[in-house]
Amino acid sequence: MEKARISLYQLFVLILLFELGSAILVPLAIEAKQDSWLSILFGMAGGLFLFWIHYRLFLYYPELSPPEYMQKLLGKIAGNLLAFCYIILFIYLAARVLRDFGEMLLTFAYLETPLFMVNALLMLVIIYAVSKGIEVVARTGELFFVSIYLLAITGFILIVFSGLIDVNNLKPILEEGIFPVIKVFYTQTLFFPFGEVIVFTMIFPYVTKRKKVIKVGLFAIGLSGINLAITMAINIGVLGVDLTSRSQFPLLSTIQSIQVAEFLERLDVFFMIATVISIYFKVSIYFYAAVASTAIIFKIKEPSKLTYPMGLIVLFMSVTIASSYAEHLKEGLEFVTRYLHPFLLILFPLLLLGIAFFKNRKRSTQPSP
Amino acid sequence: MKIERLLFFLIFIVSIFLLSGCWSKKELTDLAIVAALGIDKNEQGRYVGTMQIINPGNVASGLQGGGGNQGPPVSIVSGTGDTIVELSRNTSRKLSRRLYYAHTNLVVISEELAKEEAINEILDSLERDAQFRSTAIIVIAQGKKASDIVKVLTAIDKIPANKVIKTLRITEKTWGENIAVNVQEAIKTLVSPGKELVVSGFRLSGDVSKGTKTENTQQTEPSALLYAGSLAIFKNGKLVDWIDGEASRGSLFLLDKLKSSAIAINWKGKEEAVTYELIRQKTKIMAKMENGTPRVSIKVEAEGNLGEIRAAADVTDPDVLLNIEKAIEKEIKKEINQAVQQAKTYKADIFGFGEALHRTNPKVWKKMKSNWNDVYFPEVKTEIVVDAFVRRTGLRNNPHKVNK
Repeated sequence: MEKARISLYQLFVLILLFELGSAILVPLAIEAKQDSWLSILFGMAGGLFLFWIHYRLFLYYPELSPPEYMQKLLGKIAGNLLAFCYIILFIYLAARVLRDFGEMLLTFAYLETPLFMVNALLMLVIIYAVSKGIEVVARTGELFFVSIYLLAITGFILIVFSGLIDVNNLKPILEEGIFPVIKVFYTQTLFFPFGEVIVFTMIFPYVTKRKKVIKVGLFAIGLSGINLAITMAINIGVLGVDLTSRSQFPLLSTIQSIQVAEFLERLDVFFMIATVISIYFKVSIYFYAAVASTAIIFKIKEPSKLTYPMGLIVLFMSVTIASSYAEHLKEGLEFVTRYLHPFLLILFPLLLLGIAFFKNRKRSTQPSP
Repeated sequence: MKIERLLFFLIFIVSIFLLSGCWSKKELTDLAIVAALGIDKNEQGRYVGTMQIINPGNVASGLQGGGGNQGPPVSIVSGTGDTIVELSRNTSRKLSRRLYYAHTNLVVISEELAKEEAINEILDSLERDAQFRSTAIIVIAQGKKASDIVKVLTAIDKIPANKVIKTLRITEKTWGENIAVNVQEAIKTLVSPGKELVVSGFRLSGDVSKGTKTENTQQTEPSALLYAGSLAIFKNGKLVDWIDGEASRGSLFLLDKLKSSAIAINWKGKEEAVTYELIRQKTKIMAKMENGTPRVSIKVEAEGNLGEIRAAADVTDPDVLLNIEKAIEKEIKKEINQAVQQAKTYKADIFGFGEALHRTNPKVWKKMKSNWNDVYFPEVKTEIVVDAFVRRTGLRNNPHKVNK
């Protein structure tokens, strides 16, 4: 583990940017039609619960990072194996998000540029930042957080003032009953983006005030959930259900519809800046978690040396995981959320918490903060 | 130290290649900026696209008080193809530049084409393309080819596409018989089972061949003039008929798009004696089920001033104003009713009554959805309530009388 210090505010900013990255791009939970915002809020509630599980585990071993306490709880071999699974998951998810980024730019702006070039440019920056340590990523986060929020607020005001939102698009609420909403909750929003918060277990040990991690974390997840729900509700209000579900990037279409006072139009750059910033952080955090876990399992003293080779893996993976954007999305929505996320994001943390509970009960020690 | 220097040097060399330009750059001098796109169909059943391309030099010269260059501000190029993308690429054989659609504000579709086939087939390429803006306005070339509307030069707004759009926007705001519908709104309406599309038509008076010459803009009264036409009603994506006059203003009331207008009413036996200048209005449509049949209540709230009084009326008396208000309400009600009746005869629910029912009675709507337009919409009972307010009467109270 490197020596780093992360303040509570930095943790808050990182969680928020992480949750918004890539989830704000795609038509999230659109299977629930006009009630997608409700699904997102359910997912947020699930995310809050999952965060609590991670926090309890962290309280049992406040000095250790997840791969280390996995070894303690499951034994050396099984613990290392599980930790290795997580490394692969993090690398894979980093590659997925990087691919999202490249696809977005290629679909919208750089139609003739190879995907590899676009991904490579962002990955180079990420490798550089992560090789300098998590503190650097966190500080960049502080810097960009303000600008991204200013953008979001300006965009919101412009959309409201151009009179684009038609609340009727969000009616009737619960047309098909509550069941479709619940289904989207447990097949999608619970995992993406809220369950993915597990990656922050790698960052918990660096936080200065450990007792307050839970408060800050819950607040950040809650705020990001509300932001995502509002964004989706606005998308549907502006575009309608059909157009939102047919849009690859509904937020882009929404922003493109803005026409205020004959000259405030074509504000696509708002979308671009927001995407590039939030995706940069999402990939960075996944990538950092992968690098740090690898360094711990294989006992490598300088994690920063791992960044270049592992960065190349992420980069090549991002180009090769799917042959088309449709395939990429299908994989993400059907394979990953069905066969990977339920086990790695929910089942194993619950199992670990259970084992930790029984192991520590014998010693009858209170989890020390 | 030596290795570091070498690295530094290497980075410099690499930067030369990376920083010199962008990957898919397009120079401004290689772009043909398309202002308007007109789509027709020829005898062989292929699409013919007519692009209005901005000629930047000639647009700018006018602003500087007229220089030596007197060419037209736009230039026309056309292409043929079985699909829209094909025809667009096809034009490259006639053009020395690459077509650039990011500034296309106007799409003109010919009446013949819109009657023959569903226009959603044309719109797909427009919403899919990353360059094309879905805020481009759609109009139907009423009684003409789309290419004719695109070709004609206009006087005050140099770029004809801008003239068409601005005319539509301003007439929508000040008169209210036309409506500016953009590609995105059109697609939203086309996919909705509870609402049919209405698009404005655009007409051309005079001779096309005269309109394409710069002389057309160098006379006080252009020989070929573009003007807003009637409202085109669509059903299942196909143009069925046109409505105009009071019925089209009634439609705009129902669509809640009307901003302001002038409504003349009869007073004490004299026809069109008092003119009401509408300033703002709000229309609400609510649907409910009553004994198994849908019932729509329409509530209009209008606010405005009196603009012209051509008969003896004592408008200092609030009671008289109340009576005038009643007459106005009756007139608005009549226009709305006309619009509803017309739409019912075409069996096309252009006002979104179906959508309103969907919002309030989703279960009933599910059963009615598939044959809403043909079976249920013509049977819909409507209940129209209009509240009109006369706020002010202008600089004078009573009209002047000629006492001789």
